[in-house]
Amino acid sequence: MRWLGLALVVVAAATLMLGVADLPPHGAHDAPVHTHVGARYLERGVAETGMRNLVTAVLLVYRGFDTFLEVVVIFSALVAVVALPRGRAARSRDGDDQPPAALLTREGPAQERISVSPVVAFVVQLLGPFIAVFALASLYRGHVSPGGGFQSAAIFGALFIALALVQGRERAARLVPRGARVWLQALGPLSFALIGGVGWVLTGAFLGYPAEAAAYALREAMVVAVEIGIAVGGAVILAQLFMAMEG
Amino acid sequence: MSALIVLQQALSVLLVLAGVVFLAGGTLGLVRLPDLYTRAHAASKCDSVGAGSILVGLLFYQGVAFDDLRLVLLAFLVLVSGPTTAHALARAGFRTGLPVGRARGSDDR
Repeated sequence: MRWLGLALVVVAAATLMLGVADLPPHGAHDAPVHTHVGARYLERGVAETGMRNLVTAVLLVYRGFDTFLEVVVIFSALVAVVALPRGRAARSRDGDDQPPAALLTREGPAQERISVSPVVAFVVQLLGPFIAVFALASLYRGHVSPGGGFQSAAIFGALFIALALVQGRERAARLVPRGARVWLQALGPLSFALIGGVGWVLTGAFLGYPAEAAAYALREAMVVAVEIGIAVGGAVILAQLFMAMEG
Repeated sequence: MSALIVLQQALSVLLVLAGVVFLAGGTLGLVRLPDLYTRAHAASKCDSVGAGSILVGLLFYQGVAFDDLRLVLLAFLVLVSGPTTAHALARAGFRTGLPVGRARGSDDR
């Protein structure tokens, strides 16, 4: 059995290594990914979009529709989770008021609330500002360097969850104003639709961006607005998904 | 290539290799040790040293420049977050009554 496993590993590794050896050299200009539409993005992307990060250029400008619908998908995920019956309510409807035994406990339902570790609390509070600055930087610099709205949303969302674990959900929930929550969580699709509409007025095509070199500042403002919408909307959605889980 | 650069790159390669050894040891511990506590111990301790050593090695590879401040920050992040995570895992396991010794599902002896 052991030798069979070893043989399988060797065969799989050899196959993968053969495949890797057959890949075009890193950065080769005639690699398949560069001979299709990618060549145009690389040649004219910076001039056409004014964005030095071509990933953002492709995501927001060349394939704006695709990204728009992706944002809608993320929003739909939140809608689906919120539409599900809450855990405790669903259980008590079945006539069983006991919460299920936690996965790790052997004692079953008699599970006291575990206090927050002071070490973890200190480290989260120590790193929190750095994480927030990193999220803002990757949002603001997203169209000129690696980063962008989605990454920023993930970092902000992770920061929210860390804070909620350390300082309690109620206190963390105050970070997202209750009245604005319903709008903030839809900010991704909303900002995309709004900027797409602006593009429609300016260029005659939904999600179009003015192409003149002189309109660089306007184009940059539109892209940053969409990025902010994706980041804030995505972060609020992640926070809401976390809050929707019974703790 | 001057002798200084050779020395510098040799130091860099040695540090990265040392990091690889530590990471391999930590991974071995993660696979072979019996329960959550010992596994978290092996993984966090060796990963912190291993990743830290690799980052310091990279710092030396092309001479120290201002941009390398990022590597220093990264090393700081690894040194702070790794042990904290291991502590949180072990504490959660202990406070919820996870037994010390054999973990559930580990059949090999």
